[in-house]
Amino acid sequence: MKSKFILLSLVTSMAGFLALPVAASVTVGNHDNVQIGGFFSQGYLQSSGNNYPFEAKDGTTDFREMGVNVSTTLGTHLRLGGQLFAQTLGNYGEDKVRLDWAVADYNVRQEFGIRVGRVKYPKGLYGEALDLDVVRPFIFLPTSIYNPILRDFSSGFNGAMVYGSVNVGHAGSVDYKAFYGKMPLSPNLGVADFFNTTNLYTAEGVQHISIGHVTGGQLVWATPVNGLKFALSYSVLTDLDSTGKFAYVPAVNVSLHTNRYSYTGISSEYVFGQWTFAGEYQRNAGTFSVITPFSSSGSPGHVNNWYVSVARRLSEKFEVGAYYAEQKNGTPTAGSLPSTNYNRDWALSIKCDLSEHVTCKLEGHSVDGRYNLFNTVKTPNPNLKDSTTFFAAKTTFSF
Amino acid sequence: MKTRILRLLAGCLLALTAAIHGFAAPVLIGNKNVVGEKIDSATLKSVFLGKKVAWDSAGRVSLAVLKSGPVADCFLQGAVEMNASSFNNHWRRLAMTGGGTAPKAFEKEEELRKYVAETPGAIGFVEAGSADASVVVLTPAP
Repeated sequence: MKSKFILLSLVTSMAGFLALPVAASVTVGNHDNVQIGGFFSQGYLQSSGNNYPFEAKDGTTDFREMGVNVSTTLGTHLRLGGQLFAQTLGNYGEDKVRLDWAVADYNVRQEFGIRVGRVKYPKGLYGEALDLDVVRPFIFLPTSIYNPILRDFSSGFNGAMVYGSVNVGHAGSVDYKAFYGKMPLSPNLGVADFFNTTNLYTAEGVQHISIGHVTGGQLVWATPVNGLKFALSYSVLTDLDSTGKFAYVPAVNVSLHTNRYSYTGISSEYVFGQWTFAGEYQRNAGTFSVITPFSSSGSPGHVNNWYVSVARRLSEKFEVGAYYAEQKNGTPTAGSLPSTNYNRDWALSIKCDLSEHVTCKLEGHSVDGRYNLFNTVKTPNPNLKDSTTFFAAKTTFSF
Repeated sequence: MKTRILRLLAGCLLALTAAIHGFAAPVLIGNKNVVGEKIDSATLKSVFLGKKVAWDSAGRVSLAVLKSGPVADCFLQGAVEMNASSFNNHWRRLAMTGGGTAPKAFEKEEELRKYVAETPGAIGFVEAGSADASVVVLTPAP
């Protein structure tokens, strides 16, 4: 609560301070290369059928995000910056302030730079901009690839990234990123419910969760066709491990462990006039082992995730968007119900830019299937149903 | 040759757009220390998209843009093939995720010109008639 208060105070005081005519960047005192930015959003979520994407069957206002960032440049090539971030999604997050990113970036030249610190994770088209509400009509990015509860798997890592952009003449340009780092995880984070929902653990859930390291890269080709780009993303998590008391023999621990868990994705976005079309495919794969003092067994698995989306700006104030997103378990358990192995999400959104700094959004979802719907202490669904609908409203103030 | 013709046509189209909307076509301006830099259309695009952050000999690039309006739309469409709204979103993504330093955004051309004149490495754009001797007018090579 105290940390939430501090961040809220920071956001509101900065917001007041920034009631200046210059928005994209600001001047602080005599240091005219210090930039401050941030956002605060508050939403409402009401779901029916199941609690999804978090506990909301009774309707909830426990749906907010806030962040404040500062950056500056030193000399010609060095840039320093960082952002604090807090969120509440149902019973996840609890407004605890966390370091979202903090980097020292040394750009040698256009073709080569290096960024170290807590670095945003470049995965798919929007992996680095998960929380950036104002640039899109959607409240929730397609959940098949950008599941908000699994944000901790996707938001950042402590390590280093090399990057650059190469002009390739008439073929456009290619941006590249390659990275290595450690990913800070904790059993209190939403990602733990990915494991808690397996029924392997007692009600206390996962007690320890860790990742060895994350390695990967991304290529983005901006084609000569105005507005058309393609991206390839690959990353692998090593030694992903979650341990807790075994539900069937609580006196001993059980671990879910994989040596490698990989994400392979291909993406495309085409901005044409007032239209934005996007589509992504991502395959997640790994061999998870269940390890107890009595036995150890492993089985390979993979999940196919994809979506297509379209957005259109109608006027200076209004933008609408829609998407279809699907997840499909590629290795279903024998005899399992088909609906437990897929998740098909139709979404329709409208965004209204009330001013340069204030955005409102409304969004409706119809979800078919139970895959990746949790039944945990934080998101209880004791009687999972095959279909879910949910409605979300959200206002964001950004500066 | 084909590319040159296309660029010429694009330039004519921009000038026509400016004329229709009742303003002089935008021009690229820079701090006087930028005058020796080699700037072609690819370099200009890289600079305005935040990919090139340092000049060869003029220090760090400091971008100055008009927040909105037909001059901004016209210039950005020609330089980076985006309207002002898309351009702002591009920079919001970079600045809010640790990927870059956002441009200085100005309401008025006079403020922008003054900033460019006083800031080494600065580059921006104004309506043609608003450039004066305090800045250099830059003409990107095709």
